[in-house]
Amino acid sequence: MKQKWTRILPVLAAVLPLLAGCGGGSGKAQGPTEITIWEQRDPQEKGVMEKVLADYEAQHPDVKVSLVHYDTENLRTQYQTAALANGGPDLVYGPSDQVGPFSVLEIIRPMDEFLPGEDWSRFLPAALDTLDGHVWSLPDQVGNHLNLLYNTEVVAKPPETFDEWVEIARKAMTTGADGRTERYGLAFEFNEPFWLVPFLTAYGGWVMDDANRPTLDTPAMVKALTFVNDLREKYRVVPRECNYQLMDTMFKTGKAAMIINGPWSFGDYKKAGVPFALARIPRATPGGPWAAPMIGTKGYSVNVNLDKSKEGAIRDLLHYLTSEKVTARFATELAILPSVRAAYDLPGIKNDALLQASLEQWKVGRRMPVVPEMRAIWDAMRPQMQSVMNGSKSPEDAARDMQKDALDKIADMNR
Amino acid sequence: MNRRSVPLAYALVLPSILVMLAVVAYPFLYNFRIAFSNMSLRHFRNPEFIGLANFVELFSSSALYVVLLKTVIWTGVNVLAHVSLGVGLAVVLNRPIRGQWLYRALLIIPWAIPQYISALTWRGMFNYEYGAVNLWLMKFGLPQVAWLSNAHAAFAAAIITNIWLGFPFMMVIALGGLQSIPHELYEVASIDGANWWNRLRHVTLPLLKPVLVPAVVLGTIWTFNNLNVIWLVTDGGKPADKSHILVTYVYKAAFTLYRYGYAAAFSLVIFLILLVFVVFYMRLSRGTESVY
Repeated sequence: MKQKWTRILPVLAAVLPLLAGCGGGSGKAQGPTEITIWEQRDPQEKGVMEKVLADYEAQHPDVKVSLVHYDTENLRTQYQTAALANGGPDLVYGPSDQVGPFSVLEIIRPMDEFLPGEDWSRFLPAALDTLDGHVWSLPDQVGNHLNLLYNTEVVAKPPETFDEWVEIARKAMTTGADGRTERYGLAFEFNEPFWLVPFLTAYGGWVMDDANRPTLDTPAMVKALTFVNDLREKYRVVPRECNYQLMDTMFKTGKAAMIINGPWSFGDYKKAGVPFALARIPRATPGGPWAAPMIGTKGYSVNVNLDKSKEGAIRDLLHYLTSEKVTARFATELAILPSVRAAYDLPGIKNDALLQASLEQWKVGRRMPVVPEMRAIWDAMRPQMQSVMNGSKSPEDAARDMQKDALDKIADMNR
Repeated sequence: MNRRSVPLAYALVLPSILVMLAVVAYPFLYNFRIAFSNMSLRHFRNPEFIGLANFVELFSSSALYVVLLKTVIWTGVNVLAHVSLGVGLAVVLNRPIRGQWLYRALLIIPWAIPQYISALTWRGMFNYEYGAVNLWLMKFGLPQVAWLSNAHAAFAAAIITNIWLGFPFMMVIALGGLQSIPHELYEVASIDGANWWNRLRHVTLPLLKPVLVPAVVLGTIWTFNNLNVIWLVTDGGKPADKSHILVTYVYKAAFTLYRYGYAAAFSLVIFLILLVFVVFYMRLSRGTESVY
């Protein structure tokens, strides 16, 4: 008998762990409704989100909401893979340009069908992007736009034109004892096309035409690339190599007098105690168009694989998350512009200098296209822009190649 | 092993087999299926069978050959450096020197730190203005290099990072192999008049072969397929998509441009390249023969 057990025991030990995994889901009683949201919020935003959700759960003890965080690109790829496998979260929160591919891949539901009785006029018109006649995401903030941030201890009055900008940047520079630059006039992520757009629009250009065809090979693009490169090569007011993390750290440590960044970062700078203010990114010439950064929204989209029994709870949660109180809370704590009209009448918002300055920039911004072709355009712009910045291509060649690449990639994507 | 313990053996291995089927075999077969379809942005849910069209496109564009060349250079330089550094350090550390355990422990650290963290830290160190590498170069009066904004320099930066990350593995393997070489052989060789170079060439290296050959094969496959280091150090092929190797190029095609069918076909081709290499290398080096 003992011999039999010495043979069976190891087999059990090998097989039991497999079974333990299977038994998990079956025996659960009908507990609270669990809602999962996948998001890409920056740390400060996420902190406020968690507080907002804690309030909601206190009012609705039968609902439990959990957040899973990804950074923007991973959010997109992870969600696509999960949704294709008939899984994924109940809601996905992110910038408006992700609805383009998501809607074509048929992994999100049209929001206007999910919320049939919704009063769409309570949102700012610019907050609702439509694609193929449907609204795909319920926004809680508008903006996501680049602003000019300047350190108020170093820069007294922000520039209004490109020439003034270079002047002020030059004056703000300091050199250390070893002869190396200690403080730069300006720092920004000049390897990402998102940061090129304000310069492009200041010279009157744009990324695509009304038929969603790229318009990258234009004199405006050449001028924009030339100016950005000049900032570094000719005027020497920006560091030789600069990426997002460097720009962020430089601003926090006082090594950059001005930077170009968006609302997702304001909370962080507030927390770090940087004395800063916002201004519009300057215009190229006095009387010319203001630089128009891309404005977008961030909102919630519903997964096609959503469990029908949860729909009621989700609708309620969505209304809560896009109510004027909640969006106003994000606004006052983090200087993020609400998507809901009523929030703007609240005193906390009207008197907030940072928010009003952000609103000023937003007013001259231009809406980011949410069509899937935008992704191909970003991907075409990026390497060419980097080639100009590392001196291996002229702006004219880069603009021409950008256009060609964008057309090729759009053709590839649409096969 | 008697007859009664054979079913037991199968039962014990069964969990691993199931996991391997689910995690290795199934995705491989699924990939095979996608490679012959047109799965992409417009054909996501219901891809159609399109035969060899993806492969035709793959072999007729210049992208494959340029990136393949880069990958071969990447793999060759890395594995050569790993083996030389690893075996060299192992030979040095095999002697009874003071603090031997300390040196061995310190030299394992690059391999022990998660790749993600090391790669990102190195990326910070290669920054032109504020990075540690350029600051050191300046101290020695050497010109500063635009590591991450110049295409060739970015590739070099990734190679340097990977060499730092990878040599401990070879060192550990070589140390293990060295310990199994009997001391008498070295004594006999010295008596016969061999100097350190002859001892290395005629005693150490041949006896290390059964241990080094599988290590080199593993190292080659891992380096060839190493997405992390290139992706993180160059931030996705920057500048201008010029520092891609095959796997990062495929990753971009699949997840940025939604070209799943094309990327799956590409992956299959990479697999075949590696398969051919492994088969040839094992035959050529007669690595699975015993030594004595």
